[in-house]
Amino acid sequence: MKTITLTPKKFSSIALEFDELIPDKVYDWNKEDFEKYEVPIGNSRFPLTDYFDIEIEGSAEGPEEVKMILDGDMGRVKYIGCKMSAGDILVNGDADLQVGAEMTGGSIKVNGNAESYAGREMKGGSLEIMGNVREYCGTSYIGEWRGMSDGIIKVHGNAGKQLADCMSGGEIYVDGGCDILAGIHMTKGYIEIGGDVTRWPAGQMKNGTVVIKGKLGRLLEGFEVEGIYKNPEIHGKQLTGKYIKYKGDIGVNGKGSLWLNAEKNRDLL
Amino acid sequence: MEYILKNGIVYDPTNKVNGDKKDVMIKDGKIVDEVSSDAKVIDVTDKLVMAAGVDVHSHIAGPKLCVGRLYRPEDERRGVKPKTATTRAETGFSIPSCPTTGYRYSRMGYGTVTEAAVPPLEAKHTHEEIMAIPNIDISPLTLFGNNWFVLQYVKEGNLDDLAAFVSSWLKITKGYGIKCVNPCGSEAWGWGMNVHGIDDPAPYWDVTGRQVMRALVQVNEMLGLPHSMHVHTNDLGHPGNYETTLKTMDCVKDIKKNPSVSRDQIMHCTHLQFHAYGGTSWRDANSGAEPIADYINKHDHITCDVGQVTLDETTTMTADAPMEYDLYKLSGLKWANKDIELETASGLIPCIYSGKAPVSTLQWAIGLELFLLIKDPWKVVLTTDSPNAGPFLRYPRIISWLMSSDRRTEMMENKEVHKWATKRTSLGTLDRVYDWNDIATVTRSAPAKILGFKERGHLGVGANADVAVYDLEPEKFDPTKAANAPVVEDVLSRALYTIKDGQIVVKDGKIAKVVPSRHLWSNVQGFEKQEKKVLNDIMPMFNKYYTIKFENYKVHDHYIEPSIEYKVNASK
Repeated sequence: MKTITLTPKKFSSIALEFDELIPDKVYDWNKEDFEKYEVPIGNSRFPLTDYFDIEIEGSAEGPEEVKMILDGDMGRVKYIGCKMSAGDILVNGDADLQVGAEMTGGSIKVNGNAESYAGREMKGGSLEIMGNVREYCGTSYIGEWRGMSDGIIKVHGNAGKQLADCMSGGEIYVDGGCDILAGIHMTKGYIEIGGDVTRWPAGQMKNGTVVIKGKLGRLLEGFEVEGIYKNPEIHGKQLTGKYIKYKGDIGVNGKGSLWLNAEKNRDLL
Repeated sequence: MEYILKNGIVYDPTNKVNGDKKDVMIKDGKIVDEVSSDAKVIDVTDKLVMAAGVDVHSHIAGPKLCVGRLYRPEDERRGVKPKTATTRAETGFSIPSCPTTGYRYSRMGYGTVTEAAVPPLEAKHTHEEIMAIPNIDISPLTLFGNNWFVLQYVKEGNLDDLAAFVSSWLKITKGYGIKCVNPCGSEAWGWGMNVHGIDDPAPYWDVTGRQVMRALVQVNEMLGLPHSMHVHTNDLGHPGNYETTLKTMDCVKDIKKNPSVSRDQIMHCTHLQFHAYGGTSWRDANSGAEPIADYINKHDHITCDVGQVTLDETTTMTADAPMEYDLYKLSGLKWANKDIELETASGLIPCIYSGKAPVSTLQWAIGLELFLLIKDPWKVVLTTDSPNAGPFLRYPRIISWLMSSDRRTEMMENKEVHKWATKRTSLGTLDRVYDWNDIATVTRSAPAKILGFKERGHLGVGANADVAVYDLEPEKFDPTKAANAPVVEDVLSRALYTIKDGQIVVKDGKIAKVVPSRHLWSNVQGFEKQEKKVLNDIMPMFNKYYTIKFENYKVHDHYIEPSIEYKVNASK
């Protein structure tokens, strides 16, 4: 097992990019390798040691034996764990854009908030965020019609707009509330939102499942009531309470299901 | 600057040099037979030497590309490379940025590329993009097939005024030749319709594709333009369309070629693979390559390029807008449509050609069948209709398929392609392979001849010093081996040297120098009086229907710096 600890010592207002510092690439790096490494910042590169104190313990044969601890505020560090396939990354603070984007395996835990595009196009592994995430969590790349296909994202706070755009697999759990257009264009997969949702979940969904346990501000017109179920079993999980099941989005001949907590959404009954 | 490329193995089909070991001498941007003792010697002993490539049909500049780049940011991230001391950053795969287009063609050893579809209204934009593409000379073809003025003249049977209109519009758009896309079909699209076959009239005009194509070929020969009429025939991509294609080829065969031109053909049928399908629907579709190849083998008035499917995810873009709508109905992917006022329409949609899919495989196999069934390599040109059937950067891969029947068999046996390749086409029975001379023909000599370039596509004395040298020793290398296919692809995609007008622009597969591309255009002489009359005649209609003023329509000279003007003497 190899533990790599990076402790921030200098703040850069221009974001650092960490897509080269993933377990897959650094598992066999020693301290000297880190000391000579220059990290991309804007359109230039600067020594990583200008910004971090680096500590390494133990050794690793492969990325799965690596644990990286980013011990502090990473609010201006983009692409943490981007494209990683194995190993663990722990962020003891906030994370900037694209944390866990395109990851295929391993795990990332952020003990703070994450900026937009967390878990973009995820293909496997797990991403846990203890705080809030901003827009486009678990979505596709801009213009791309193939989004997150596997893996798990857990957000303990709130999620922003367009959660899981074009999702085609995997699971997303949001404990808090969620802004507009969660699960838009989704074709498969499972989204569970614990809190309230502002508007328009699951627009143009073709298939997949969205569960909303809180109050929904406004439902889209393309969803038809299929029935009201008590303690339904959805996606292999037993939910408690009454749920209204909708089918949609009929605008695109969709066969997805949207479940709303009946108690919290009495106006829709 | 003088150079001497020493001891290369030279393939130059135009001058009947077939793998001879010889020196290529360069002086002042031209090929010469003697240089002074100051000439810089470049040792290319035993390496493959050819003239720089000439592409007869590619979409590289203009509004379609721009819409594509805006519309497919997910394509832009494929192929990202940081800037270097000589080059700007590269982006994109099927729709690369303008500089990337130049670098990639240059690295493959190409020197001249035809931008295949320029609507006159967007010609300014096209020339602006050409200014941003380095290292290749570009000849834009102007679209005429669905232009209202053209339809009007055809309806009246007024070929003299049509000739004056074409000659005037080539000057206005700084175009090199006549392009015709789905004649009458793109006009019908304005009414939400398409035409089927060459005898289906466009709504309102009551003019058919046959009439438009015949008129444009006749006008092309009246003017004596260096290139023939360049046609994308009706019914692209529809099963059973090979019959339309045969009718198209046959409908112009009696038209006499202008004696002053150097080419043999009177019509160039582009991306023929898309027009060579049998069957009645995609369920029972099969290959129509055999009758088409047979027709081309027996007739000399037609040449073609293939539009080979490369089995990639790409972007289709064409002025055949109704076809793009059909494609949208099939795939459901994001679709863009553009109306070009009185001139044409255009559409754009991503397309995923996969070896696992039966239809993509059928298209792939039909393309290769055309290459292998058309006996004379001077009549067929290697293209992918970039980016429609695949990006141009895949040319080396296509060459590796053409040079090795073992590789093709391997693909069919290993299930790299669907079983339709063997069940619905004759590809499995074709064991012809191209040699280096054939490759040089279909990528250099033939396209240069078809386009009417006397100074390009060969290494004879007086030709432009556009030379490509590849890091491969043809005498010691067996390209027919399946295992060597990746080597062919690799070597041809990074030229050892690409020389453009006597300047080394690529060295060891890297861009060594960036030079501006030249705009190649045809200037017809001898029609000035009629042109004036035609302009006066059409101005009321122009002012009524166009959204821009005529003063802003014309491509002014500063849009085409630097340029090469091909003076055409129409009175001959």
